[in-house]
Amino acid sequence: MAESRKPSPPIASRHCDDPKIDYKEVAYLQKFLTPQAQILSRKRSGFCTQCQRELKQAIKRARHMGLMAFVQ
Amino acid sequence: MFLLDNQVVRADWRQAKAMVTDLLAKNGAKVLCARRWDERKLAYPIKGRTRGTYLLAYFEIEGPGLNSVRRDFELDERVLRYLLLKVDAIPAGEMEKAAEEGADGYVVPPPPTDEVTSAERAVFGDLADRPIQENLRRNAPADEGDAAEGAEAEVTEAAATEES
Repeated sequence: MAESRKPSPPIASRHCDDPKIDYKEVAYLQKFLTPQAQILSRKRSGFCTQCQRELKQAIKRARHMGLMAFVQ
Repeated sequence: MFLLDNQVVRADWRQAKAMVTDLLAKNGAKVLCARRWDERKLAYPIKGRTRGTYLLAYFEIEGPGLNSVRRDFELDERVLRYLLLKVDAIPAGEMEKAAEEGADGYVVPPPPTDEVTSAERAVFGDLADRPIQENLRRNAPADEGDAAEGAEAEVTEAAATEES
């Protein structure tokens, strides 16, 4: 049987009560991108459904304004 | 948030800011505060620009006015990108920062010159370091002759290298 790969731990824990994720906080958003600038999956970011959705929205807004890259 | 062309900002920041706020006011918006957010290098070139200045403004507007605002900003060459969002409230400290900028004696840091790297030049050619107005003139139909000449020159060069 093939050896199952151990999943990497989530990057950061976040409380859903924290202030909303803002598209202007580029340094924070950068943490949730792969080296190719793809958005991390929920599994790897460790976010709940609602937070992941906020994160996705914020990163896409930042990309539109030229603050973050679409591809690296 | 609005992304403004650094050429306009370099000429006069207050005028650039007034350009945006006047456009908003023209369409029936009540501008609550507007300030320079930051000047930074863009993650990717937009309309041949590698740097830009961000203007962050909060305003109130009725629904029908929004479409005309969008149309105006789409048509304006000086605004490279814009992002209009609905917010519940103005974030704390935003009004103070805007007031600070509006006060007399506030010096706006001039934007640095666009650093056009060789990679950018390879993609955009001469367009990378020309002002927008010149780009437009360049793309005008009258310039077709020049473009054709350039293509010919390239062909002859290529032929020469093959022979050698």
